[in-house]
Amino acid sequence: MSGNGMGEAATVVLIGNPNAGKSTLFNALTGANRKVGNYAGVSVDAAEGGFYTPHGKKIRLLDLPGCYSLRGGSPDEQIAAEGLMGNLRGTNAPDLAVCVVDASALERHLRLVLEVIDLGLPVVVVLNKVDLAENGGLRLDAQLLSEELGVPVVPMRADRGKGLLELKQALRFPFPAGSRVKAAESTAGVADHQARILQICETAARRPDEDQLTLSDKLDRVLLHPVLGWVAFAAVMFLVMWAIFSFAGIPMGWIEALQGLVSGWVEGMLPNGELRSLVVDGMIGGVFGVLVFLPQIILLFLFIGLLESSGYMARAAYLMDGIMSRAGLSGKAFLPLFSSYACAIPGVMATRTIDSAKERLATIFVAPWMSCSARLPVYFLIVPLLLHESEGTWKQAVILFCIYATGTITALLVALLLRMKLGKDEGQRSFMLELPPYQAPQWRYIFRHVAERAMSFITKAGTVILGLSILLWALSTYPRQAGRNESDALAHSAMGRMGSWIEPVVKPLGFDGRIGTAVLTSFAAREVFNSSLAVLFRVEEGESDEESRSLLRDRIAAATWPDGRKLFTPLTLISLLVFYIYALQCLPTSAVVAREAGSLKWAVGQFLFMSGFAYLASFLVYQIGSLFL
Amino acid sequence: MSAAVATGLELDSAITLSQARVGCDMQVRVLSGPGCERLRRMGFCEEIRLMKLSGGRNLLCRVCGTKMAISRELADQVWVTPVE
Repeated sequence: MSGNGMGEAATVVLIGNPNAGKSTLFNALTGANRKVGNYAGVSVDAAEGGFYTPHGKKIRLLDLPGCYSLRGGSPDEQIAAEGLMGNLRGTNAPDLAVCVVDASALERHLRLVLEVIDLGLPVVVVLNKVDLAENGGLRLDAQLLSEELGVPVVPMRADRGKGLLELKQALRFPFPAGSRVKAAESTAGVADHQARILQICETAARRPDEDQLTLSDKLDRVLLHPVLGWVAFAAVMFLVMWAIFSFAGIPMGWIEALQGLVSGWVEGMLPNGELRSLVVDGMIGGVFGVLVFLPQIILLFLFIGLLESSGYMARAAYLMDGIMSRAGLSGKAFLPLFSSYACAIPGVMATRTIDSAKERLATIFVAPWMSCSARLPVYFLIVPLLLHESEGTWKQAVILFCIYATGTITALLVALLLRMKLGKDEGQRSFMLELPPYQAPQWRYIFRHVAERAMSFITKAGTVILGLSILLWALSTYPRQAGRNESDALAHSAMGRMGSWIEPVVKPLGFDGRIGTAVLTSFAAREVFNSSLAVLFRVEEGESDEESRSLLRDRIAAATWPDGRKLFTPLTLISLLVFYIYALQCLPTSAVVAREAGSLKWAVGQFLFMSGFAYLASFLVYQIGSLFL
Repeated sequence: MSAAVATGLELDSAITLSQARVGCDMQVRVLSGPGCERLRRMGFCEEIRLMKLSGGRNLLCRVCGTKMAISRELADQVWVTPVE
């Protein structure tokens, strides 16, 4: 126990079944912005925060991943059990456990509560989503429930902040003792627990005699239909892609106009020379080459947040189970894979919800092939070059949809091969998933989350990308020889020489030395590809905003080989896209893979395999395509 | 004695959740198979009432107010009787 003295912080853990609302409560109590969503398995690690009770007692709050039982087998359930026992590194043994239960599913959630009570810890039960349960016809009696369990019970609606004060009052010092009911029934086993739960619910949480058809049931008739469900799934995904291209155009124009203004201002301030070239070509060109895609990144995270918050994600996992099983995975693996569309790191971590170690390894291995947001600036630069200006955004959306589908299908095929190599699971692993009721999006959380991701993107552009842009400018400028034209100067520079060394390696993919160099530099961070192109193809600001807006694309589109052939042909662009779909160019992802897989070899093997696969796929696309085009 | 006989007869008439008709209210009587512990953890315990919502490769059912999807292999381990 850590918090017995009034001056010391007491340690309180939040524990409960998945999707009971623990992280929502954690955010409400501590002001944190932990990820929340309306499906089981959103939180897979422990988080720590703090707050004060109305009596001035400092509370150190630990939010644990959801678990169905303290004897659960999946890694996230083990973390929850370890946290409750005080065995997690850097945490104390808890002074009190707050068991969060979904009031509309008490019969299922009380099982874990009884397990926690049996440990002898002081317990407070939070009866969350209580108004939703009562609207569904459940007759709840929190007072009776408290008497039956022998612990305080606080009815709440954590997402709206209702009941927060009452919970803080219940946490006043000294904490309540462990339940006396537990002592009377210390021999309780699984069957006894079940009998007791039924008896408690019979008195304290009576269900209506007949099931009522809810709005969620009506929606599920369509969204889970064997045919209509797939149509809806494809429509949702396509709509997201289309909206990203369509809605981002206007704010992108603002950012490009800002770039023009800043460049113009700098050009007016600085005389023509190296310093101006560094600031305009290197710093502004490099950073804005990435920053211009901020609107698309924001839209992607907004739509992912909406899907996660609505309850649709679990439905998508249900639909995908049939396809996933053919790849040796289950529908549960779809959730981490979908998370990887935003970023592979939380996706890899989300595999902790998967019981089977072999399925988890296979999912970790292929997760980086779900196109993450860092690839978007590259896609958004290349995709419009494949189409004529007059062609609609829906065609761009179709290409983007195909890009995502290519990564996903290849990932499933490789997962299948991997599962065959890893062998069958020892125990029986069958699909089982909760489908929570649909709910209105938690806008406040979604906006905070999107703002956080946008800030992270801007910070990256202002630090890593800026630093690399300056480095790239220096490499493309020095050593300098006087009297040469711009093209010869670039060829003479360190980057130009690097390009000439790389060119024989990348020429079979349809790339020249400049593209090869840009690809190589993007192993530091994918977005650097755009900055590299901006520096290598020396974008100069045009006179009008409209001119400056499309200069990078125009310069790329006009680029040629020394013999005058067009450099960025459709085949080269497709080859480039294929390379970026498959290449693993993210060191933080490799670090997380090494940690989650428990093996550095696994991470190194994944990096080498994906890099080799990207090269080979790009090579095949270009060489085979050249036979026909 | 008669109660035990009645229970025995009722168990004889139990069917698996896979075999149960869609739309019927059921009560779980017995869990039998390697997935029992996992099923219990997720709420499929003896005496619990549930409603089968759809069939197919993965079944949908409502257990204690929660909609659950479970595979046919697991549903074969849940023995149920209809609730009058």
